[in-house]
Amino acid sequence: MLHMPSDAPNNPLREGLLSRSVPEPCTLVIFGATGDLNHRKLIPALYNLAADGNLPPSITVVGFARREKTDAQFRSELETAARKFSRQKINDELWANFAGSIFYHQSEFTNFEGFETLAKRLDELDSQRGTRGNRLFYLSVGPDQFPVILENLRKSGLNESKPGSWTRVIVEKPFGTDLPSAIELNNIVHEAFHEKDTFRIDHYLGKETAQNIMVLRFANSIFEQVWNARYVHHVQITASEPLGVEGRAGYYDKSGAMRDMVQNHLLQLLTLTAMEPPTDLTADAIRDEKVKVLRSLRKITGKDVAKYTVRAQYAAGSVNGKEVVGYLDEQNVPKDSQTETFVALEANVDNWRWAGVPFFVRVGKRLPKGATEIALHFKGVPPVLFHQTEQVIDDNVLVIRIQPDEGISLRMSAKLPGSSLRIEPVKMDFHYGTSFGKATPEAYERLLLDAMAGDATLFARRDEVEEAWKFVDAIKEAWDSGQGGPVVKYDSGTWGPDEADALVKRHGANWRRL
Amino acid sequence: MSTESIPHSEFPISNFSAGLPVEVGRIEKELGRLWENTGDKTRASLINLAIYTEASENVAKNTELISQIATEHACRAILIYANRTAPEIGVKAWINAHCHAVNKKEICSEQITFQLDGKSPTAFANVVFAHLDSDLPFCLWWQAPFHEPHDSKLWSWVDRLIFDSNKWDDPAGQFPIVRQIAAFGDVRTVLCDLNWTRLLSLRSALAQFFDHSNALPCLGNIQAVEIVHAPGARVSALLLLGWLANQLGWQLDSVLGRHSFRSADRREVTFRLIEETGAGISSCRLMTKLSKFSVDRASGGEFFHATATGGPLDSFSQILPAGRQRIADILLKELSRGGSHPLYLQSLAIIEPLLAE
Repeated sequence: MLHMPSDAPNNPLREGLLSRSVPEPCTLVIFGATGDLNHRKLIPALYNLAADGNLPPSITVVGFARREKTDAQFRSELETAARKFSRQKINDELWANFAGSIFYHQSEFTNFEGFETLAKRLDELDSQRGTRGNRLFYLSVGPDQFPVILENLRKSGLNESKPGSWTRVIVEKPFGTDLPSAIELNNIVHEAFHEKDTFRIDHYLGKETAQNIMVLRFANSIFEQVWNARYVHHVQITASEPLGVEGRAGYYDKSGAMRDMVQNHLLQLLTLTAMEPPTDLTADAIRDEKVKVLRSLRKITGKDVAKYTVRAQYAAGSVNGKEVVGYLDEQNVPKDSQTETFVALEANVDNWRWAGVPFFVRVGKRLPKGATEIALHFKGVPPVLFHQTEQVIDDNVLVIRIQPDEGISLRMSAKLPGSSLRIEPVKMDFHYGTSFGKATPEAYERLLLDAMAGDATLFARRDEVEEAWKFVDAIKEAWDSGQGGPVVKYDSGTWGPDEADALVKRHGANWRRL
Repeated sequence: MSTESIPHSEFPISNFSAGLPVEVGRIEKELGRLWENTGDKTRASLINLAIYTEASENVAKNTELISQIATEHACRAILIYANRTAPEIGVKAWINAHCHAVNKKEICSEQITFQLDGKSPTAFANVVFAHLDSDLPFCLWWQAPFHEPHDSKLWSWVDRLIFDSNKWDDPAGQFPIVRQIAAFGDVRTVLCDLNWTRLLSLRSALAQFFDHSNALPCLGNIQAVEIVHAPGARVSALLLLGWLANQLGWQLDSVLGRHSFRSADRREVTFRLIEETGAGISSCRLMTKLSKFSVDRASGGEFFHATATGGPLDSFSQILPAGRQRIADILLKELSRGGSHPLYLQSLAIIEPLLAE
């Protein structure tokens, strides 16, 4: 999304240099600093920001974790990870400079003394490094750890901003496991931090194509005119992956596809697709419009779940030439698990723009390939002229590919060359990779920078999260009460169960071949 | 004129030569044939990039440059060598392609090279008009001194006029012509001085000192500016000075041949341009009574050491990217930035009286 410069006093030397908010010097405290996310995503993202000159001066990173280690050991581990996962090659001089800003703080999350010593250390670092009391706490831990960390931050006073400084918190998903837990979690967060200082990360929103949805819609006059129920027949939002649970069975079996993907990533994409133009490009103006979409979603309750949703679980099959086991045979998955690894649902946005247009959402594991996209299927042309020649004329489809191979394509009909009248679909295709050879920044780079600058546009607001849970909880409750029928099976390596096909066929549609 | 046709098997992948000779009237047709039966090669184009040079030795250099540019900015490149001393008027043409791998696909950009012999007043505009890829932005990189008279129709088509004021022998004479050209375009043409682009990293490095509200007031107390530049980079240094003056509201004050600036509150701000061997601008210092903000290019050239000392600020030092200074990198940066550069003309206006000295 586009960003206006910060409301902070203007630095006249910044004019013309940046079109986004400028981050201020700060200390980033990462809880769970020895974990996978920090090694694979956060530190490489921070290094790339430093390499591009985008980090604020005096940026300081403090890793907070349980294991015993020195600053030097921590830096060495992170260097290894950065060399492996950074999108830019590591420059030794730049790394040495960046590594000098990284520190390690050992403590259990439950140990209050560890937070007291952290407070002292942060004060020392402020005076040594000029970070001026600005602090950004990143909870890169499981949600079960959130309460104790937030409680200790509050008790130690670390949540309080010093005069002229700011204190913010970044929370990783999942934001709760249902509406009550999300409300509870949000209340816990709000006991320590104001909503304006709370940044809930959904990394899909940091992806270039997700950010491009608004540009596509509102900076091109031809699309917005037809972006409504008058012209759109239905919308398909798909997130497929060939992977299974991959060692995450403990988490995944409690979560399932609905909570893991639909509640956050897919509903975020749906809101960006369906929202009205915001009044301006400020974070709240955009999020206000997204929340309105969530509030307009027709709740799927009771017996309706059987009609509007399909839940399924992968059975054994073949993916990418390899035989794979079914979900129930995965390690650490209970043999009687009813957890869904596939969801297809029909959502309806009951507002003026979208009345009568189904939004089909599909997400699944062990599908033939990995892809995330939004496809707008337009209504057909009137059945005159070309239909009389027994031609099948495919409808226009506008596809926004989120990953991989980010881009936009438009399917339309064209006459085949020759003396007879034959009409075939052709595709106009825009690939980011082809047109813009430069590697796009990782989502975490953009999101970290925005959090340092206090720009919450690409982060989920409390009411967004809670409204999304209301929609999802209604379905889950009906499923759990048996009203949706049992979880059906689909073979690994296929596009899901027949029931999913029937869901869209009812509207005369088919799932897109990806 | 050569009318050699291109066999399909001879896909002219760039070797930094001009490519295959073609008849001027058949260029589009031959390009079309080029892209038939090319298997997994994809032609891509986001911009028209025309380069005008009057030096024959620049044809190979520019072809290599286009090859580098095409990796990030798929384009239709039109390279025009004006052989103005040739006794007879004539046009020769070649076509070429630059391909690079992206995710197992080969993405290719086209290059058409022209040699314009003699001093035809219309040939340049004609070859450009005739071979633009329609509806795409038109960037023209003018590598020669600007001559008068200008063809207003040509200039009004240009979206981005690229030039490098560091290469000019007579910057004081050239800048007014550039202003005139910009006016032809009905405020559409963006002036892209690569010399201004070169300053981007240095401007960012200086700006970052003042992002924090504690440091911001220091901008209003600057008393002196020192810029160290290489012998060939005086215009760069002046542009940097002009930018500081423009952004901070300083007016040039010249008394008996001695120049300094006056701030809005009538304080004097002195400046020194120090010429030292090296490349580009190696150092810039902003000094208040109590603080000093320095940006120094590290010996390797790819980084700046940015240091703030003294005054109410916490002293700090950090390494910032200086950006590569190869011409291909500067051009890539310029093409990636987009947008207009209103501060350029404003900065230029402030230091224009100093250009002739």
